[in-house]
Amino acid sequence: MAVVQDVHGHHDHHPSGIMRWVMTTNHKDIGTLYLWFSFAMFLVGGFLAMGIRAELFMPGIQILEPELFNSFTTLHGLIMVFGAIMPAFVGLANWQVPMMIGAPDMAFARMNNWSFWLLPVAGMLLISSFFVPGGAAAGGWTFYPPLSAQGGLGVDMMIFAIHILGASSIMGAINIITTILNMRAPGMTLMKMPMFVWTWLITAYLLVLVMPVLAGTVTMLLTDRHFGTSFFNAAGGGDPVLFQHIFWFFGHPEVYIMILPAFGIVSEIVPTFSRKPLFGYASMVYATASIAILSCIVWAHHMFTAGMPTVGQLFFMYATMLIAVPTGVKVFNWTATMWRGSLTFETPMLFAIGFIFLFVIGGFSGVICAIVPIDIQVQDTYYVIAHFHYVLVSGALFAIFGGVYYWLPKWCGRMYDVKLANMHFWLSMIFFNVAFFVQHFLGLAGMPRRIPDYSLQFADFNMISSIGAFGFGLSQILFLYIVIKCIRSGEKAADKPWEGANTLEWTLPSPAPYHSFETPPVIK
Amino acid sequence: MNNTEHQTGKASTLQVAKAVFWSFLGIRKKDDLDRDAKMIKPHQVVIGGIIGGVIFVLSILTLVKVVTS
Repeated sequence: MAVVQDVHGHHDHHPSGIMRWVMTTNHKDIGTLYLWFSFAMFLVGGFLAMGIRAELFMPGIQILEPELFNSFTTLHGLIMVFGAIMPAFVGLANWQVPMMIGAPDMAFARMNNWSFWLLPVAGMLLISSFFVPGGAAAGGWTFYPPLSAQGGLGVDMMIFAIHILGASSIMGAINIITTILNMRAPGMTLMKMPMFVWTWLITAYLLVLVMPVLAGTVTMLLTDRHFGTSFFNAAGGGDPVLFQHIFWFFGHPEVYIMILPAFGIVSEIVPTFSRKPLFGYASMVYATASIAILSCIVWAHHMFTAGMPTVGQLFFMYATMLIAVPTGVKVFNWTATMWRGSLTFETPMLFAIGFIFLFVIGGFSGVICAIVPIDIQVQDTYYVIAHFHYVLVSGALFAIFGGVYYWLPKWCGRMYDVKLANMHFWLSMIFFNVAFFVQHFLGLAGMPRRIPDYSLQFADFNMISSIGAFGFGLSQILFLYIVIKCIRSGEKAADKPWEGANTLEWTLPSPAPYHSFETPPVIK
Repeated sequence: MNNTEHQTGKASTLQVAKAVFWSFLGIRKKDDLDRDAKMIKPHQVVIGGIIGGVIFVLSILTLVKVVTS
């Protein structure tokens, strides 16, 4: 991509101290805030996961009372989904989207500040709900009624937190859509946009589509709890299964909201370290759109056992299995990009390849779960836990790690410790599989999810899984150390540390100046 | 109509239908994608996508009916 640009003459003055971060409207500052917040929430969610795995290390009740255990599983899911993974992708979008399209900032800079600063409020609501009478919500991250209709103040705090998180996500999505559609540099046509920008554009549309549905769902739940309605209360003529339908109408696109930006990151990393253009760029754009459309008509595969006519089961089974087609197109294209490329295995590439390998495993187990007779067997077992952790940890999280290692030199102008970063990858890769692969066996053997105790025949695999989880958790402390070491004392990074990279951000100095592309570059 | 005019003209219904169909499969040639981007307007894609989605859902439903009949 030929680029003409002027990177000189920037004025880097901005407020200093804490007010810089509170008042900032700069996309890079807000991106940094999002990323640190999501990492903090990742540690909190990880702490809850360690609690769960410590309790499940051996049969019997050792550490957590059953009610607290249920709160741990519930808040682990909510915090990881809404507090860690989603904000991390928004943080990456804040940093990268303007730089990748040659824009000076996000379209609505003040709204950007507001959408971030809502997050800590919601995060604090979720965490502090552990300390209110009755404790935190304990009905699972999907908060199905009647359990969520019965909980105490913790459930109300969770509902309020979800409202706030939803508002933040919608504002973030509107900002990203407007930025991409209106602020591209001259010559940056839609078809020249990097894949990360494309995937975020489609993700943002999905967010605008489904977050209001979630807001409506939790509002109905709130009115059921406090204002005498009976949307989901069977005793008042309502239907708990209605909740499941509208929750999953949000929930399944939400899965793709968490994976499409990951596809975008991998689609940036793989060509860079293969030193080849992305194979089938057009197909990648179309496959992303296809996945987004299909994701809206498959929701009821999450509730095959809730009671559904055969016609409904077959419809959702067929539609779900069809999603494997565009997803397969993507995996094929990444593999074809690597085929006969001059591959090198820097840390971002390791995470990208790890992503492809493990996401395919998660995708296959997803297709298995889509088949009604099998799903009826494995519903609510550890097989499903294994499936979605392969998609969301080795999928979304590995892509985030890859993205951070890929762009960190651009963000802070320093290179991370390569040896430690590679060690972080290998430790994560090994411990992740130790933790989660055995959960397939546990699920197939019939171990149910969301229980603090289990039968003796599950003991060995649970012990292995817990060891893997502890190792995985500790490995992420290493990640924190690597990032801090990089920021403080990493070697000076070149403006373009990866020779195969050719998107617009690499034309900027490292670290990227506080204000970039005030004069738009011209893309030829 | 010469080629240049064809490239910047308005997309036909068939072209929109083709673009929507390929988007459902997730495969598209680069040249066709470039032509789509130049000629198809956003509202055409939205309308085409909704109609395509309805046809897609009805097709699966028909298949399900055939299987269960």
